[in-house]
Amino acid sequence: MLSHLMLGASNSLYLGDMLLYAIVFVILMWVIKVVAWGPVTKMMKERADRISNDIDSAKKSRTDAEKLAEQREEALKNSHAEASTIVSNAKDNGTKLREQIVASAQQEAQTLKQNAQKDIEQERKDALKGAQNDVASLSIEIASKIIQKELNAQDQKQLIDSYIEGLGKQNESR
Amino acid sequence: MSGDSVSTFQFLGLTFNTTNIISGLLAAIIVVVIVFAFSRNLKLKPTGKQNVLEWLIDFTNNIVRGSVTNGDAPNFGLYAFTLFLFIFVSNQLGLFLQIGWNGVTYVRSPTSDPIVTLTFSLMTLMLAHFSGVKKLGFKKYFKESYLTPFKFWLPISVFTELIDFLTLGLRIYGVIFSGEMLLKFIGEMAFSGGVGMTIVAVPIAFIWQGFSLFLGSIQAYVFVTLTSVYISQQIQTEE
Repeated sequence: MLSHLMLGASNSLYLGDMLLYAIVFVILMWVIKVVAWGPVTKMMKERADRISNDIDSAKKSRTDAEKLAEQREEALKNSHAEASTIVSNAKDNGTKLREQIVASAQQEAQTLKQNAQKDIEQERKDALKGAQNDVASLSIEIASKIIQKELNAQDQKQLIDSYIEGLGKQNESR
Repeated sequence: MSGDSVSTFQFLGLTFNTTNIISGLLAAIIVVVIVFAFSRNLKLKPTGKQNVLEWLIDFTNNIVRGSVTNGDAPNFGLYAFTLFLFIFVSNQLGLFLQIGWNGVTYVRSPTSDPIVTLTFSLMTLMLAHFSGVKKLGFKKYFKESYLTPFKFWLPISVFTELIDFLTLGLRIYGVIFSGEMLLKFIGEMAFSGGVGMTIVAVPIAFIWQGFSLFLGSIQAYVFVTLTSVYISQQIQTEE
């Protein structure tokens, strides 16, 4: 080493080499910066940014999903409540309708009964009237028959018998 | 190698060593080619080559971050990356490629010449001191670097800086130079005495080449680590 240095010194030190190496090194640094260092570090930074962004967005989407799930659950609960109210409403309506139907049927039955009673009454009245008319016409007939004949007891008896006979005939004919 | 004659030439009143120029330029070109090839077709989702390059960048960044803190590390990432690649390639260059002609070796490891390693060392220390002045201002930089802990510490501090400069450069030179010399010696031995010597020498050469590969990588790592340590010493106050 010493002899080498001495040799260098004797020929005057290789200052040119030092200068050249410094210059070459600076140029090399510049070339590497342009060719590789710049793009690669940029890419690495981009990647780091991308990863952090991805992490952020993943976090965000997770919270979103959680929120959505919560909403869904709430909606489900609501729909359960709604369904039960619908069912109870339907039940209420059903009972109401049933009561109504029963009531109206009862009413109808009542009116039918009343009408029947009325008819019966009417018929009874008509029958009574008819009987009265019959009695009246009978009395008139009797009276006329009495008047036609001067009646004795025998005759009277005959008359009554004939009348009864006639009545039976009348009844039969009727 | 000290026995070899060297080819020099004068240009603009400066002495140039042809070997160093050729080897250095070759190393630089190899670095550029590798980096250029590996940085083509960059993607957000890295594959193959890009992974290697990114791993390298991370590697040197981590070395810098290990000693330079307070958010200054990104400023020196490119320097450390370039330094590491250049020194690494320079260290390995001589293991695979030694071209000699007329008793002059034209291509070998540039780092097996102390002038080259001392140049790197000087660049590193200049960068460190420049960064110190830029960050702290000249007054504070001077006080921190030379007058701490006492005022009369100044000569020792100056001497320490000189020692730093020399050790940083000569450490790597020693390792690479001795590695190459031994390799050369083994090579000469292989052709010196018949077939038997060759058979013995080839495995030794293999082993030594592997070991030198390892040493070259370690030295590149050490150089970058010490670089960042020196930088951090200058830009950080020790209060």
